[in-house]
Amino acid sequence: MRALRIAAVADIHLGEDIRGHYRKKLEGIEHRAEVLLVGGDLTRHGTIEEGQVVADELGDLPIPVVAVLGNHDYHSDADREIAAMLRDAGIIVLDDDAVVIPLDGTRLGVAGGKGFGGGFAGKCASEFGEPETKAFVRHTKEIAERWRHALKNLDADHRVVLSHYSPVKDTLAGEPPEIYPFLGSYLLAEAADAEGADLIVHGHAHLGTEKGMTPGGIRVRNVALPVIGHSYVVYCLDGEGVH
Amino acid sequence: METPQYVAARIQRALAEDERTNELGIRVDVRGDQVFLRGQVSCEERRHGIEDVAREAAPGLTVHNEVQLLEVSDPGEEEHL
Ligand SMILES: [Fe+2]
Ligand SMILES: [Fe+2]
Repeated sequence: MRALRIAAVADIHLGEDIRGHYRKKLEGIEHRAEVLLVGGDLTRHGTIEEGQVVADELGDLPIPVVAVLGNHDYHSDADREIAAMLRDAGIIVLDDDAVVIPLDGTRLGVAGGKGFGGGFAGKCASEFGEPETKAFVRHTKEIAERWRHALKNLDADHRVVLSHYSPVKDTLAGEPPEIYPFLGSYLLAEAADAEGADLIVHGHAHLGTEKGMTPGGIRVRNVALPVIGHSYVVYCLDGEGVH
Repeated sequence: METPQYVAARIQRALAEDERTNELGIRVDVRGDQVFLRGQVSCEERRHGIEDVAREAAPGLTVHNEVQLLEVSDPGEEEHL
C-alpha cells in the first residue's frame, strides 16, 4: 500500500460577495494532493444562490472532492437542494454514509457527515428530561450510530472520517469552554475509535486549534479556514493503514 | 444605562441571527458606551455588514470595528501522519 496525500479545508463560507476568490486558491492542487476533503460550512446562510457559488468554485477540479454540509448550510432549509446541486457538479457529498475512491491503485474510504453537538465525556448532555433536550442528544446519537455502521462496512486501504462538528475537545482550544457542547460531541470520536480510522477531519470551531487526538489514538485535525490560515492543508497518510 | 453584558449579548445574537451577517464567530465587548468588535471575515463587505448590524443593535453607543480580514496564504508544508 502506498502513501496518500489528502488536502482538507472547512468553513469556506462562500457567497456571491467572494465569488471566484477561493477557486483561484485551488489552482495547482492536483500537484499537491490526490483528493480534497471539505468539512462543511460551505456557505454563510445556506441559500440556493450560495450553494450555486460553492458548486461553481469546487466543481470540475482535476481531483475528486468529498464534502459534508455544516450548520450554516442548513440555515435556509435548503440543505437537500444544496447537496443535490453539489452532486450535479461532480462533488461527492456525504450524509452519514461513506464512499470508496480508487486513487491510482489505492482505495481511500471516507465516511462521515455534518455531525452534531452534545459535549464531551463527563461534561455532556444526556437523553433525559424535556423532549427538546432529548431530541438534541438523540440527533447526535443517531448520527454516531450511522457513522459506526458506515465505517464497519467500509472496505478501503486508508480510512478517513469527514465531519463538520468536532469529535474531541483538543481541537476546540481557543473557543470559550461554555460553548463546547455546541461545537461537538465525544460520541463521534467513540464511533470512529470503535471501528478504526487513520484520520478525522472537521471544522466548525473557527477559534480552535488544528491538532488533536481521540481517546483511541486517531489523529484529529480542525481545518476551519481561520484556524489553518491556508487555502487548504495537505496530510500525507503513510503506507500503514488502520483496520 | 443598560447593563453592558446584556448589550453585548444582544449584539452577538443580532450578528448571528441577522440575515445580513449570520456571523457566529465575532467577539463583542462593551465598556461603558464603547462597543468593540473582534474576529475575522473574508471580505470588506462582510466587515461593514457586521458594523451596521452592531450599530443597529446598540443605538447611541460608539462601535469600534476591529474585525480583520482573513488572510489565506498558499498551502504550506504537508504533514505526515
Ligand atoms: Fe463555520
Ligand atoms: Fe459551523
